[in-house]
Amino acid sequence: MTEEAIESDWKADWRPVVDAVGQDFSDGETTWGADPVERGAIRRYLEPLEFDCALHTDREAAVRAGFDDVTMPYTGLMSWTLPPMWRPGETLFDSDDRNAQPVRSAINNQDMPIGPRTTGFFGTDIEVEFLRPVVAGERIGRRGRRLVSCAPKETAVGRGAFMTWESDIVTEPGEVVARIRIGTYAYVPKRATGDGEEGE
Amino acid sequence: MTEAAPALDGRRFEDVAVGEALPSVAYPLTVYRLVMAAGANRDFNSIHHNTEYAQRTGAPEMYANTQFLLTAWERCVRDWMGLAGTVRAIRGFRMRSFNVVGDTMHVRAEVKDTRIEDGRGVVEIAIRCENSTGVTVGPGVVEVVLPRREEEDR
Repeated sequence: MTEEAIESDWKADWRPVVDAVGQDFSDGETTWGADPVERGAIRRYLEPLEFDCALHTDREAAVRAGFDDVTMPYTGLMSWTLPPMWRPGETLFDSDDRNAQPVRSAINNQDMPIGPRTTGFFGTDIEVEFLRPVVAGERIGRRGRRLVSCAPKETAVGRGAFMTWESDIVTEPGEVVARIRIGTYAYVPKRATGDGEEGE
Repeated sequence: MTEAAPALDGRRFEDVAVGEALPSVAYPLTVYRLVMAAGANRDFNSIHHNTEYAQRTGAPEMYANTQFLLTAWERCVRDWMGLAGTVRAIRGFRMRSFNVVGDTMHVRAEVKDTRIEDGRGVVEIAIRCENSTGVTVGPGVVEVVLPRREEEDR
């Protein structure tokens, strides 16, 4: 097989995904965060960032600012819309290999029903429009998972595709608090090159 | 609540000048810090806490996750604007290279544009992450709304 044929062959595997641009992969389901936003989780979120803002740590300050309780940092949206890693009755770890992965994770491309199987995955870009802060006690979810674009591309780390996804972030009563576009790169890793190029 | 509360401490729209640099924030990236970040923001992708695994995926080392980097932008802006401002949008948050452990990441930003929009004081802040190799994330924009003295005095 010529180099050109091999090139077109792997890209052809992504054709079903390219053809699915515009499709909502959520099936109408909202993916809810594992837990409501709560003060302890906000505090832990701030720690590695040394992020000192009274709106997130001091209830009285947050109340003076007009909120019922401390607020989640605006950019915590993705963390607080992740489903639980484990549910009662499930097995999450089934191997003692040092680098074995959990049986399932929300942070990869595992739930993509079409296209090539990939094992490499990372975020590439984000755009967010914030409509209002989220307050402790609220639970948020990701409504809709519309594929906006899919571009197969070989990079320094492997062969795969850049995909962009669009969702609304909603509260349990259904209020939209943010709109988000997330770019990802799902790929089959090459041998490690050490180049470290991420994204385009 | 979506509007800045008048009595809150923080920067006012009239205080801001295009070109003004925000105080930069330095993040020494250690394994310890990345493990804390993964535990807190729940991005458990092994590329962010396991060197062997990260290298198998083509990266030179484990590297900071998206949530950590995105909130690092928010912190830089919040440190500067105080409690009174609200964040309206983030655009152009684009990964360019890995923010690996063993390096220090800096968030640097400056005021790009100011305007009154529907009576609100809107400020666009150009922002980026850098490490020893150059720009790693962005440059992008954080758009904030700051209270206006003129409105508060009414």
